[in-house]
Amino acid sequence: MFLTRSEYDRGVSTFSPEGRLFQVEYSLEAIKLGSTAIGISTSQGVILGVEKRVTSSLLEASSIEKIIEIDHHIGCAMSGLTADARSMIDHARVSSLTHNLYYDEDIRVESLTQSVCDLALRFGEGAEGEKRLMSRPFGVALLIAGVDKHKGPQLYHAEPSGTFYRYDAKAIGSGSEGAQAELNNEYHKSLTLEEAELLALKILKQVMEEKLDCKNAQLASVTAEGGFQIYSEEKTDAIIKTLNEQATDEDTVIS
Amino acid sequence: MQTTVASEYSNEIHSVPIEHRFNPYSDNGGTVLGIAGEDFAVLAGDTRQVEGYSIQSRYEPKIFDVGDNIVMTANGFAADGVALIDKFRQQLKWYKFDNFGGKLEIKSAARYIQHLLYGKRFFPYYVSTLIAGLDEEGKGAVYSYDPVGSYEREQCRAGGAAASLIMPFLDNQVNFKNQFIPGTDGKEKKPLKYLTLEEVIELVRDAFSSATERHIYVGDGLEIKIVTKDGVRTEYYPLKRD
Amino acid sequence: MAGLNFENYQRNSYLSTKGFATPRATSTGTTIVGCKFPGGVVIAADTRATSGPIVADKNCEKLHRLAPKIWCAGAGTAADTEMVTQLIASNLELHALSQNREPRVITALTMLKQHLFKYQGHLGAYLICAGVDPTGAHLLSVQAHGSTDIGKYQSLGSGSLAAMAVLETNFREDLTKEEAIKLCADAIEAGIWNDLGSGSNVDVCVMEVGKDAELYRNYLTPNVRSQKARSYKFAPGTTAILRESVRDILDVEETVVSFDQMEVDTEA
Repeated sequence: MFLTRSEYDRGVSTFSPEGRLFQVEYSLEAIKLGSTAIGISTSQGVILGVEKRVTSSLLEASSIEKIIEIDHHIGCAMSGLTADARSMIDHARVSSLTHNLYYDEDIRVESLTQSVCDLALRFGEGAEGEKRLMSRPFGVALLIAGVDKHKGPQLYHAEPSGTFYRYDAKAIGSGSEGAQAELNNEYHKSLTLEEAELLALKILKQVMEEKLDCKNAQLASVTAEGGFQIYSEEKTDAIIKTLNEQATDEDTVIS
Repeated sequence: MQTTVASEYSNEIHSVPIEHRFNPYSDNGGTVLGIAGEDFAVLAGDTRQVEGYSIQSRYEPKIFDVGDNIVMTANGFAADGVALIDKFRQQLKWYKFDNFGGKLEIKSAARYIQHLLYGKRFFPYYVSTLIAGLDEEGKGAVYSYDPVGSYEREQCRAGGAAASLIMPFLDNQVNFKNQFIPGTDGKEKKPLKYLTLEEVIELVRDAFSSATERHIYVGDGLEIKIVTKDGVRTEYYPLKRD
Repeated sequence: MAGLNFENYQRNSYLSTKGFATPRATSTGTTIVGCKFPGGVVIAADTRATSGPIVADKNCEKLHRLAPKIWCAGAGTAADTEMVTQLIASNLELHALSQNREPRVITALTMLKQHLFKYQGHLGAYLICAGVDPTGAHLLSVQAHGSTDIGKYQSLGSGSLAAMAVLETNFREDLTKEEAIKLCADAIEAGIWNDLGSGSNVDVCVMEVGKDAELYRNYLTPNVRSQKARSYKFAPGTTAILRESVRDILDVEETVVSFDQMEVDTEA
């Protein structure tokens, strides 16, 4: 893609003669190195599923945080340089809490996503002399899942470029190409939350190198009733079990 | 230390210090009142604006339709009242920009005004603020504030010059305070009920015509803004001009 | 003991240093006017009495009689105008009696200014004094500190500017009695509408040479209260009867005395 390095690689906010910002484009590449994360939006709620790369048998899997709560009604999954996500999530949490303080209501998911994306372009001086916060663009993408009373369950994909889009289902990270193709095949509007849980794990299973278990995969949901919840290992385990049973059933039918 | 000594005029105690500092506030009189009904809410205010013993205007409305089916007033120091309402209107626009054109609920408006007021905790807006509208269930709502942002949702509230004259009347006629069912020997309170819009308008008119009789800062005209699910409507009634 | 009693003065000024507010006296806001016409003089006043921003009396009397044909309109502290006026009225009558003459307006004025000057302005009485006496019709005014003015038309009180605007515009030397009354009433009305300290009705007093003085109480009533929209009658029993007791304030005893038991003295 970028075979020749040029001087436009250096300045983070310098356009190349072709009208590209290389550093921003490179940051998108960083995401593709991250572990896979999937989000599926249904009428009942949104499911987030992530792969955790447990690189060592001595690594405590529960210490890998790839799904995080922003507020009681919003959560997010990440892929890429997860350390960069910290400042985005801090900003998101402040936005959400401040909105609640000022307006005595939950912030809309779309507004929250917008406020995170406002932060994404703060690597250069702003037009109105805003302080330069970062030396480079973020190297992380977020799948922001939430519910609000205006638009119900929603899923947004926020990129380091500062753009965001709403998706019915979206995959990011190293396995995103295969996962997204599978989502395109499998997604339909009448998906239930349970079906979405299974679909998320099924796709993760397909794109992961490791064998799927409750340690190297994590699920979370956001629903109107329960808000944001990360699934316990036991619950994830139970769903994996259902998934495996379904797989054997299908095998039997075929054979 | 000053004591009560026998003195001639020459050593009279000149006790009251004379204020020479610029006073940034003034009192422009007027009075306002809000009542919430089952599916409506009203905000009413007289249209007189005063300074000392002079009438600055006989028609200077102070109840405003600020948008999103919310009406607002800030009575006391007129300049602060106008400034507060302008700020709120501006913020309502920002809310629309930030929230993709969404409606600002009355409870959110209420909370935001608290922050506008408390933001000037040590140089307050010298006003008693009221807002009225419909809540998320479509029920009438009135919120009232002190000058630094303490607020409360209420069935009714009077503010401004004649608040102390009108509020006891409202307690008795809207919340039936001190009224019992005849024959129960003061044991059973008169049960609460929602007043109709017609009854509320009658109460408001009587409250203002009575306040006009006994308060020199009240009079000239009465403007009522009525909020229903169909929007905001305005009514005007003349008051005595003396 | 004659005069005013100052025994609480020091205590009260001490208390005010400790933050105790001194009580407010009723009314400084008023409109009063007077105007002369060939053969007489008219004075007029509004009828509002205030205590701070509260209307204390909607129909008070600000026209005081000093003598049958000398009347006085008072602005300022209600109690002071009332008391000063009564005192001077009393002294004026004694004076008239002892001199066996009808009292003169200038006498009343002199007594008023000497009394007010003595109290160095502490008596808040601002008066327009008018009347007819053997020397003709007169219109004079006194300030709280004791200074006096003479003029063909005058106004005093918080509404004096509004009233004076009308007087300056419409006064003429050859006013008829009716025109003079109208002018005074119009001047008071200007105060009623444009000065918050003044309100309600117009009282007028006309003094004509060779005639009795005429007081027109509530000459104009431009501020009649409109009917209330609702009735506020409460059904009996709306408030609890906490205690009920019936007391006999007189014991009635009845005894029947029959005639045959009566002792009749038949001997004569």
